Amino acid sequence: MKAKEKFVEEHRMSASSDKAPPIATSVIGLSKRFGKTGVLENISLDVAEGEILVLLGASGSGKTTILRIIAGLEQPNSGRIILHGRDVTELPARERGTGVIFQSYALFPKMTVEKNIGYGLRIRRRRRKEIRQTVDELLSLVQLEEHRKKYPSQLSGGQQQRVAIARTLAYKPEVLLFDEPFGALDTQTRTHLRREIRALLRRVNVPSIFITHDQEEALELGDRVAVINKGHIEQIGTPYEIYNQPATEYVATFLGAANILEAVVKEGFVETECAKIPAELDPKVYSAGDRIKIVFRPEDVLLSRTDFLKPGHFKLASARVEEVSFVGAYERLRVRLEQPGEECVDGETPYYLTTETPERRPRSIIATRPKPEAVAARLKIGDRVVVAVTSFTVLRSA
Amino acid sequence: MSSIVPTMRHVRGFDIVRPLSVGLLMFMMLPLVFLPLASIFIFGTSNGLDKFWAALMQPEAVFALKLSMATSFWATAFNVIFGLFAAYVLSRYNFWGRNALIVTISLPTAIPTAVAGFALLLLWGPYGTLGRLLTPHGIQLMFTAGAIILANIFVTFPLAFGVIKPVFDTMSRSLEEASATIGATRWQTFWHVTLPSLRGAIVSGALLTFARAVGEFGSTILVSGNLAGRTQTAPLYIFAKFNEGQIEAANAIAIVLALFSFLIFSVLFFARDWLDVD
Repeated sequence: MKAKEKFVEEHRMSASSDKAPPIATSVIGLSKRFGKTGVLENISLDVAEGEILVLLGASGSGKTTILRIIAGLEQPNSGRIILHGRDVTELPARERGTGVIFQSYALFPKMTVEKNIGYGLRIRRRRRKEIRQTVDELLSLVQLEEHRKKYPSQLSGGQQQRVAIARTLAYKPEVLLFDEPFGALDTQTRTHLRREIRALLRRVNVPSIFITHDQEEALELGDRVAVINKGHIEQIGTPYEIYNQPATEYVATFLGAANILEAVVKEGFVETECAKIPAELDPKVYSAGDRIKIVFRPEDVLLSRTDFLKPGHFKLASARVEEVSFVGAYERLRVRLEQPGEECVDGETPYYLTTETPERRPRSIIATRPKPEAVAARLKIGDRVVVAVTSFTVLRSA
Repeated sequence: MSSIVPTMRHVRGFDIVRPLSVGLLMFMMLPLVFLPLASIFIFGTSNGLDKFWAALMQPEAVFALKLSMATSFWATAFNVIFGLFAAYVLSRYNFWGRNALIVTISLPTAIPTAVAGFALLLLWGPYGTLGRLLTPHGIQLMFTAGAIILANIFVTFPLAFGVIKPVFDTMSRSLEEASATIGATRWQTFWHVTLPSLRGAIVSGALLTFARAVGEFGSTILVSGNLAGRTQTAPLYIFAKFNEGQIEAANAIAIVLALFSFLIFSVLFFARDWLDVD
């Protein structure tokens, strides 16, 4: 017990010594097994005061279990949960003070909107006047004043969600936990609600953890995103970092299409097939001769009919257009790299190229072009092009 | 719960099958249900309402009706509370022998009521397995109002449970989980969240149990002793008066019981929407 307190104390110290906002919620070394199958292994994460953290992962990745453990609806096999410096790991759900917004909202069907919102205060036996005042404030915060006497079944999905949030805000939760809150809504309502909720959370400044499998949602909603895969965290970072500097192949491919190319580190550049791309890699991490993968997004690819490239574009290879499809806001092309000429194979190991698309065809690259460019320089199937990249990330080959 | 019945239409224009099948159904109901019920009322009121009223106001008749209501009330109260508890345990916890327990609770539906009454006699009667031990202490359970309640409980045991359990099963767990994360104790959650959702099931379970208990005959006649003015319930009174040839006396009570069950089922049928929604 002593050691635990010390641990918590140190944890708080390290949090406040930084200039960053203080840490509101910590998950430390969380592991969970259901029977013999491991669901979570050694999950650690922090949420700062007022921050939105998104847990992004495929279904079955264990992200919901993390949320349920923080809320106290599930017990971990090991690890600790700290809410504002208080170790709550051993506490039952009702003593933790978390606010859970369930996927189905879980509004009490036999209570009106105002009864739902006031529930947390009623069971805490607050004065009637205080309850009414808080409910009034929250009703105006979520703009549902005229619906106060209605029952949940008479509200739209978005309104129900706002009631669910107000119901948790009433008792000033330590942290808000959203379990796939937009799962049951259509795309348009989703996008709209997402922005609305983000604005609302900015105003109330309560730390929040969201769960989603939708990468677009994660990038737009989160101050930081944690990508969860098979019960462990692949990467935590800002949406920009996650998208542009993926730490693992899984992260790269989970957040949209990614082209992956095998390469070898050389002095001052990386070499792939018959292309040499200048790159300054950290000599502490990579040394010459290391096998690596370079990852780049379809929008990082530039297709050109000539060998003439603007500065900052690095030629990869020449290719033939295999597929052109128009996807609304942009044009999507698949090009197939041509067999390298004899002059660029110097008897070394062959290189492979994979594209993480549902098709996963070797030696083909996915590129997207914005509409103006697609119109200005039309490409059709069979055209020969030069493939260049503007930026890429380097991963160590497994 | 309002249901819309789509009309079947195979051909355009007049569909002869519809009036024919509706007519056939009504015709079949006539000798099976309508006419027997109607004859009670026709016969009972044929000698004028004064006679009917006089037969009803016989002290033994009044006693029989009161006893039926009282014993049914206590049996219902017990079975609703017990059914609620059993449904909660059996839908919330998974344990070894759970299915066997569900089957056992539902068993009384399939047991003939006379067998149920006989079984109770064998257990609690003066020479019964347990009754034998109580008799020396001056405790006699059988042939009392308590015995009638016991028989009613046994016979109507699965009714309330059977209505409440499915509602428990389909109730979303996240409601109770939400209540817990908001800070409610188990009891607060049950009182404020679980119970309101069960209101409709509890009321209809209670009405079913009560209606069934009021009409119980087979087990009651064995365990009550059928003593007029002491342990004679309304159905037993009808049977006794009929055997004595006092058809009017029997008929007056029969009318009351028929009206009573009619009332209960009207409530069950028409108050459904009110019970389920708010």
